Amino acid sequence: MKWRSWLQRRRWERRMDAELQFHLDCQISDYVKQGLSQKDAELRASREFGPVDLAKDECRDQKPLEPLDQFQRDVRYASRSLRKSPGFATAVVLTLALGIGANTAIFSVLQGVALSPLPYHQPDRLVLVALYNRTLGYATNLSYPDFLDWQRNSHSFEQIAAFKGQGFDLSSPGAPEHIDGKEVSSNFFGTLGVKLGLGRDLTPEEDRTGGVPAVVISNRLWQDRFAGNPATLGKTITLDGVDYTIVGVLRPGFGFGNRQADVYTTLGRTDSLLRNDRTIHDIICVARLRRQVSVGQAQAEMNAVQDHIDELNPSTERGLGTYILPLKQFFIGDVEGTLVLLMGAVGFVLLIASANVANLLLARSTVRTREFAVRLALGASRLQIVRQLVTESLLLSIIGGVVGLGIAKWGIHSVLAASPGDVPRIDNISVNAPVLLFTFGISTIVGLVFGLFPALKSSKTDVQAGLKEGGRGSTGGHQRAQRVLVTVQIALALVLLTGGSLLFRTIHNLMAVNPGFETRQVISFQVGLSPSSVTTPSKVRIAYQQLIDRIRQIPGVTAADITALLPLSQQDNSGPFWVGSHQPASMAQIPRAIYYPIGPDYLNTMEIPLLRGRSLTRADNLDSERVVVIDSLLARAYFPDRDAVGQSLTIPHWGAALNVAARVVGVVGHVEHWGLDGSLGEKPQIYYSFYQLPDDILPVFRREVTFAVRTPLDAATVMPVIKNVVYEAGSDQPIYNIHTMQELVSSSMGRQRFPMLFLVAFAALGLLLAFLGTYGVISYSTTRRVHEIGIRTALGAAKSDVLQIVIGQGFRIAVIGVATGVVAALILTRVLSSFSRLLFGVRASDPLTFIAIPLLLISAALLACYIPARRAARLDPMIALRHE
Amino acid sequence: MLILKVAALQPIHGYAIVQRLQQISKDALQIRQGSLYPALYRLENQGWLKSEWKTTEGGRDAKFYSLTKTGRRQLDAETAGWKRLCEAISLVLGTGERGTGQ
Repeated sequence: MKWRSWLQRRRWERRMDAELQFHLDCQISDYVKQGLSQKDAELRASREFGPVDLAKDECRDQKPLEPLDQFQRDVRYASRSLRKSPGFATAVVLTLALGIGANTAIFSVLQGVALSPLPYHQPDRLVLVALYNRTLGYATNLSYPDFLDWQRNSHSFEQIAAFKGQGFDLSSPGAPEHIDGKEVSSNFFGTLGVKLGLGRDLTPEEDRTGGVPAVVISNRLWQDRFAGNPATLGKTITLDGVDYTIVGVLRPGFGFGNRQADVYTTLGRTDSLLRNDRTIHDIICVARLRRQVSVGQAQAEMNAVQDHIDELNPSTERGLGTYILPLKQFFIGDVEGTLVLLMGAVGFVLLIASANVANLLLARSTVRTREFAVRLALGASRLQIVRQLVTESLLLSIIGGVVGLGIAKWGIHSVLAASPGDVPRIDNISVNAPVLLFTFGISTIVGLVFGLFPALKSSKTDVQAGLKEGGRGSTGGHQRAQRVLVTVQIALALVLLTGGSLLFRTIHNLMAVNPGFETRQVISFQVGLSPSSVTTPSKVRIAYQQLIDRIRQIPGVTAADITALLPLSQQDNSGPFWVGSHQPASMAQIPRAIYYPIGPDYLNTMEIPLLRGRSLTRADNLDSERVVVIDSLLARAYFPDRDAVGQSLTIPHWGAALNVAARVVGVVGHVEHWGLDGSLGEKPQIYYSFYQLPDDILPVFRREVTFAVRTPLDAATVMPVIKNVVYEAGSDQPIYNIHTMQELVSSSMGRQRFPMLFLVAFAALGLLLAFLGTYGVISYSTTRRVHEIGIRTALGAAKSDVLQIVIGQGFRIAVIGVATGVVAALILTRVLSSFSRLLFGVRASDPLTFIAIPLLLISAALLACYIPARRAARLDPMIALRHE
Repeated sequence: MLILKVAALQPIHGYAIVQRLQQISKDALQIRQGSLYPALYRLENQGWLKSEWKTTEGGRDAKFYSLTKTGRRQLDAETAGWKRLCEAISLVLGTGERGTGQ
């Protein structure tokens, strides 16, 4: 670019030289013909021509400026004029940097999470396939036999693979550690279309009962445990006491879903009980659609396939439909909505910031009226002045964008720190090319729009008036524009504050919800029992009992026991049940409950109130009668007119045993299992003893066992002691998933807390900017009215009158702004309530919010006016009158 | 205007323009020759003249200027204006002479 323009300039110069030289040569040769000597001819010619350099310079002046030259000149001029007012430039750059930075930060998260494609081959054709409960309206896992049927009978997919999240206790090589893994069908990686970094894929032979234990490991594990050595292939790692041969290593950065699995092993090799039972729904499918097959077509076909499966298996299937969702949507979930919401909010912040900048530019252009008048008088065109001003504002916004990028890099950290901890595809978030493009784009747009507006206004300067007014300029039009901008700012800030306030109230309401147990002073964690102590189910029972007894003896521990399902942990263990022994005719009608396999002291540890009957005891074991404790919800719904204690329930699958009758021995309070907002619906809850689980099913629940410990001590104080106790019982037992119940409570509010933190932060920023905007405009217009105020004071106006004039002016702006904002907020907060589960216990048109926030804004505006008003009222009329 | 008039007849290079001007005005107009070129460049930028490089009879490359359509219109307008002015002056001075608009 530069190179070309330099070449062009060279060529132009050469031609000019040639032309002038030609002239001189002609003249000289004419004179020589007339009889002059060569030397005299040269002298005379050059005298008549005049100084050649002057002529050249004058020619160059005539040359039209090339756009690039012109741009350079404009930029030079702009930076010079900005350097002359560093305060102004800094204020504008900082304001813009805040706005652009916040936008860039949110955009980079949105881009990384939602906009960029998944890192698989042709990811648009990948879908998630699951079952769908038509009666209750939710997607659910399927059984392994279902998967095999789907694989055989469906035609919509090129491939269909199954997967299941599975934690493993890694005991060798290296220190014991609990790692996340997945059990997958052997075509899992093939379906995704990913290639391994090293080694080979899992094979169908390894993916069936009796297959050789084989594993594909993550790049992280490979680096950590094997130092990235290629000779790792063929070595073994020990997972849950079983030796697996490493057959493949994944490429760095491969991930599937939120939890990054470190080991992938075959699904079909595990326990034949699990893999043959249609009632155990524990896997999900991922499939690649055939070309030209839509999600809708696949859905229709799969529904037919599933109906056929139901017909063939009348005793186990429950009239379930299928559920197909693009894979990306499954990963992102409703995070995308939240991010779009935040993007909107942060856009408002940018608008407010830009309005401030436009105001500053307007004020500055008023001061510069004289400069423009002089330039116009000297022959500058209006276009030149507009171009000059727009260059200035572009320069400011681009610098603002660069600074904003820095703010964004820092901001992304805080976005991720404040996120609910399960932001999908978190590794994909960075400041990358699309983000840079976005930042550059909005910087340019902001610079253009908010530079053009004041520029057009000020270039209309009437030359004569401008020169005469000597810097005071014509202000009427500008002030009207400034007031409009402030009104808009106040309205935007109000919308932000309203949104923030609604979410704030939501969190407040959630905190007031009684979760059904005492969340304070409880620590939960999981332990991977050492493989040697869990060779038989009865050994497992003994190991847990011994470990719990040891933990109970720790000083400061008031109660402790195990559970295979912890409330607010986002885990599920639902199953069917029915009252009495008579099985309902239709399987679809069977009620479902959440089952908690617990240690006998768990209810006491969690302080879940016992309402009737007794709790579970150690005496409830395999040799005694099967007993359950139910929650108040189940008691009310299914035993409305009688005492539930002593009644019996049928549990269709108690391990492999079918239709086991259990006696209700107690009723406890209902616990908010899913979250405090109760929006996922409330299911009845059934507790039974972990120690009454039959041998066949116990190994399955063993992986889920969580310890709950009640202690008034700090987690940091007591956990090392607990760890010691666990390691004493077995040094190869990793402890993981350590949380206080309070942490689980607050992460269960993550959906609301995450957007709330940001909306509140953005609203505060918006309020501050609107405050500064109002202050700026009012104090500016007051300065311009010093003369008038002086006259008024001289004529006898009291200080209160002056205050009234100035504040009244701001008050009018504030009221109009607030009124506009309230209307906008009433419309826009509907967006908030359209997000399911976002608002809780507060309506989108919450009266308290809609009274408090406008009042807050009006008081802020009045405060912003009061400062310049008081200054004006204190003015000495003599000084004011002399003020020029 | 004079330059335009000279260039109106045929494509012509800078040196020839100077010669022609001196010839026509019978050496009454003594301009610094160097100042011709900025004027030419200005007229070219305004779109009244166009230029191209051609070879002269003497075998050298020179830049030849010629009048464009807008240049022609400009020339007509200026000539008309000049004539009106001259007429007005003649009327005031009472001399009957007309049309010295060259």
